[in-house]
Amino acid sequence: MEKKDSGIILSIKDVSKSFPGVKALDNVSVDIARGIVHGIVGENGAGKSTLMKILSGVYTKDTGTVVFDGETIEHTTPIESLNRGLSIIYQEFNLVNTMSVGENIFLGRFAEMHGMRGTHAEARKLLDSIGCTIDTRTMVGDLSAAEKQMVEITKALSFQSKLIIMDEPSSSLTSDELKQLFLIIHDLKARGVSIIYISHKLDEIFELCDIVTVMRDGHVIDTKPVGELTRADMITKMVGRSIEHEYPERPRCAGETLMEVRSINTHKLHDISFELKKGEILGLVGLVGAGRTEIVRAICGADKVHGHQVLINGKPVKIKKPADAKKLGIGLLPEDRKLQGLVLRFSVQSNIVMASLDNMTKFGFVDSSKEKGIAERQINNLCIKTPSAQTQVLSLSGGNQQKCVVGRWLEINPQILIMDEPTRGIDVGAKYEIYVLMKQVVENGGSIIMISSELPEVLNMSNRVLTICEGRITGEFNPETVSAQTIMDSAIG
Amino acid sequence: MQTTFAAFGKRSLRAVTKQKAVIAILAMLILMLFFKTNFYTSYNLLNVLKDAAVNEIIAFGVTLTVIAAGCDLSVGGVMCLSGIVSIKLINGGMDIWLAVIIAVLCGALVGFINGFLVVQQKTEAFIITLGIGMLIKGVNQQLTDAHPVSCTNMEYMKIANGKIGGVVPNLALYMIVIGLLVYALLRFTSYGRNLYALGGDYDVAKYSGINVVATKWTAFVLSGTMAAVAGVLLSSKLNTGSSIYGDDTALMVNCGVVVGGTSFAGGVGGILQSFIGLMVLQLLGNCMNMLGIAPYIQQVCQGVVIVAIIWLDCYGRKRKREDV
Amino acid sequence: MTKRFSLKNFLLNYLVLVAIVLLVIITIMVEPKFLSGENLTNIMRQFGPLSFVSLGMTFVIIGGFIDLSVAGIISLVAVVTVSLIDPLGQVQALIIGVALGAFLGFLNSMVLISAGALTQAEALFITFGMSAVYSAIALIYTDGATQHMSWLTGNQSIFDAIGSGTVGILSVSFLIFLVSLGALWIFHNKTYNGRAISYTGGNKVAAELSGIPIKRSVVLIYTICGLMAAIGAVVLFSRITTAAPIIGKGYETNAILSVVVGGTTLKGGKGSVLRTVLGVLLITLMSNCMNLLGVSPYMQIVLKGSILVVAIWLDNRKEQ
Repeated sequence: MEKKDSGIILSIKDVSKSFPGVKALDNVSVDIARGIVHGIVGENGAGKSTLMKILSGVYTKDTGTVVFDGETIEHTTPIESLNRGLSIIYQEFNLVNTMSVGENIFLGRFAEMHGMRGTHAEARKLLDSIGCTIDTRTMVGDLSAAEKQMVEITKALSFQSKLIIMDEPSSSLTSDELKQLFLIIHDLKARGVSIIYISHKLDEIFELCDIVTVMRDGHVIDTKPVGELTRADMITKMVGRSIEHEYPERPRCAGETLMEVRSINTHKLHDISFELKKGEILGLVGLVGAGRTEIVRAICGADKVHGHQVLINGKPVKIKKPADAKKLGIGLLPEDRKLQGLVLRFSVQSNIVMASLDNMTKFGFVDSSKEKGIAERQINNLCIKTPSAQTQVLSLSGGNQQKCVVGRWLEINPQILIMDEPTRGIDVGAKYEIYVLMKQVVENGGSIIMISSELPEVLNMSNRVLTICEGRITGEFNPETVSAQTIMDSAIG
Repeated sequence: MQTTFAAFGKRSLRAVTKQKAVIAILAMLILMLFFKTNFYTSYNLLNVLKDAAVNEIIAFGVTLTVIAAGCDLSVGGVMCLSGIVSIKLINGGMDIWLAVIIAVLCGALVGFINGFLVVQQKTEAFIITLGIGMLIKGVNQQLTDAHPVSCTNMEYMKIANGKIGGVVPNLALYMIVIGLLVYALLRFTSYGRNLYALGGDYDVAKYSGINVVATKWTAFVLSGTMAAVAGVLLSSKLNTGSSIYGDDTALMVNCGVVVGGTSFAGGVGGILQSFIGLMVLQLLGNCMNMLGIAPYIQQVCQGVVIVAIIWLDCYGRKRKREDV
Repeated sequence: MTKRFSLKNFLLNYLVLVAIVLLVIITIMVEPKFLSGENLTNIMRQFGPLSFVSLGMTFVIIGGFIDLSVAGIISLVAVVTVSLIDPLGQVQALIIGVALGAFLGFLNSMVLISAGALTQAEALFITFGMSAVYSAIALIYTDGATQHMSWLTGNQSIFDAIGSGTVGILSVSFLIFLVSLGALWIFHNKTYNGRAISYTGGNKVAAELSGIPIKRSVVLIYTICGLMAAIGAVVLFSRITTAAPIIGKGYETNAILSVVVGGTTLKGGKGSVLRTVLGVLLITLMSNCMNLLGVSPYMQIVLKGSILVVAIWLDNRKEQ
């Protein structure tokens, strides 16, 4: 207990970590004090999650020292970290969906809790202590994202955690749920627990945090009390350059109506009707789970939806499956690149020609010479960094993988390209290239529907924004004239 | 106390009604009321239990592997193997109980190898255990020269044949005892809960400090062991060990487990569900016998029922996936 | 195409080829009879029914599924075809038999599609059930009796040719095999539908979202598998001139064995009928060698099982 306690719970000094070809962390040093909320901000790829994984023991650091609660930690595993009092709450929750809340809280500690009855009793006590009323016998799979987060927090508390790291905790919460989360965080802070709050939503950082660390490209750029930073400072530090160059010039919208969608109704979507104009980039903004993805999947025929109408150039069309959509020149860049977009074990070429293969087919036979040409053309056109067209797509970086999916659709000259989170998980440079590609598509006469959780990119790229909240369209805005705050309010509902 | 009891009742009711297998059983029971057969005699019903026992015991073991998001298709081979081994050892003059123990250990060994391949080497469970099953079938044929062997020591038959108090068949009793033991293992021990956890989400279980490899591995060992126990009982019941039994046992038992609602996705299900799932197939056979349906037609019906129930299972998942 | 040649990768990818060469060398050293013309003809003859069934199974596995119903299909096709030779004539019987196989495969695919089965495990159990149904229908159809080709009545020159005819040094059945192999190889590598099957096996969700007709792929793979099983059945009963209603038993596991041993991955998407030929060749050579060396048939099953296990294990290593 009476260690040289300087009020520092976690001290990270000169930690570096390299992956093949990338230096993910470069001499990172941060001190986290006891009983405060410490924000870490940075763009995707800044090294935040690598740092967290080193702390939890999923990765091993290359060099540097980590001192937690007076104890130098060389090598650790996730369970050792937990037992030391360091918990991490990831975006994808670390919970077993098929088990009850109580058992999840005490996962792997069934015997310590003296069986089922003890488990549930203890879980109840802990849940009550943060004012959470979920029944401990509910299956975790049946909970909402917010409730799962409560369970994760309770689980962290059950380990007597001194430090809880929350990775983008607000990404799937409604504003009410977020308020409740903030209350709990304040409560934890009052109990002397330190919180590391990772987010790229600056509002939350300003509202919640005491100290903030800005990371960029694997470096710590600055650590300061929140009061000493302005919003603009923080953004400059995060992106490391003035913001204008982050996006290409907004494409011009032509105006004529290309596609009309009338009344999509499912039990998640309510009366979704909208228009898409020729040469337009239409942004769909909403929280995760608001129904954005469901709307575009319904349009493409990826989900079975009945009773709605889609008109292209004023003529009603029937889209029952994605193949029908493809025939009409509608391409979908799915949300989850690895699970829904790519055949990871196949070559770059196979992945690129996937959608256009039937165009080079005569009497059922594929013209393989054309196939090679197309792959080469898209690789050059999109600057896909790959050793050859025959390389497995698995071995490419996220940005290059995404370009393969984009290239696949460019090859059919899409009238309408639907992009669901087109820049998720790819680095800043590659993002810019994706934006330029989007611009190319509309300049060649196509239209784009873009879904994104990153508001700035929607605001800077689209000509028109629709906000979606709980399965309804709640507003239509011109991003050039309306503030981000107004749009966000409309999306939160 | 009252409320928890009521809650328990409610939960079990919901768990039971969610099962198509229960409905199938009820349908058969009701159907049999309309025919004048010996179905509703205590003799027949006990017989159903007795006949089911061997497959049920195998299913209890298989359930463990299925909960752990695996499956075990080598159990048919193991069942024959243990029967052959114990009879051959007894015929060679070994003490009955020692022979039985060795036979059961053989099953455990096969389970250990399965576990090594599936858990440690991370191969696909259903295909690798199918391969192991085939291998063991070869071993069985080699051991018996593809002829059935009978036990010369008549004491051996007494293990499985006979009735407790002249009413309840021994086999049924073994089944119930083993079933209860495995039920308790799954429900009340940390081993069981860890098995559910790793079946539900392997990585989360691993990060929670559960020794996932050992836990899942043990499930395969137990599955092999129980198949071997069942094999001893079968060979004792028939006083014969043969390599031709059990060609379809593995797939049938795994089907039964799935029919009961233990999903291949892992993490759900249990002994009771597997018991009911296998009972569907068993009762179906019994009902058809009672109604005097020709054996080939019975086989058709059995196939159709398996397809229908697994079809329903898939279809339910499809509906859930497409539920937008 | 600029891939650097690496011995390790080559060995890992074509392990079966290495195994075949080693097997041949060892056997020649131990038993010189191996190279006799008689034995080589024998090998060609053994290269029979299983190879047809395995070719069909290759597509199912590339498509990311599995098919246990070939056992039932072979039994049913065999007994139906044999029983129809006398009443309808050999050509009609042959056509009906082959069409029946394709239809049963088609039926499998319909059951799978309507259920929305996506995984190998689901397909495994559904086709197992279907197999039980088909086998039982074969038993009902014949009342359990073995069907004989009667030599006294009717013309069965086609089946005679398939069973024992030769063209030059090649047996007729081997020629049929070569033709099927060529056709299937072209289908898989050169046609749109063949490529679609690979995409389906590689990633069903991505394939569907890219407008690849995955349902058509499922129909095709099972229909081809049924068709090839039927051809295998015809070759089988032509050779032994009888058809028992359980004649197809065991072919499902042996076919999977040859496909996997050949190096087509069970994870779907990648593989080739040519690889399967190597797989079949290895298995055939192995039983031939073991027969020459006097290994008991039961021990042969043990060895086959071990090879299957090792092949799956290696396949898994490669994919990691």
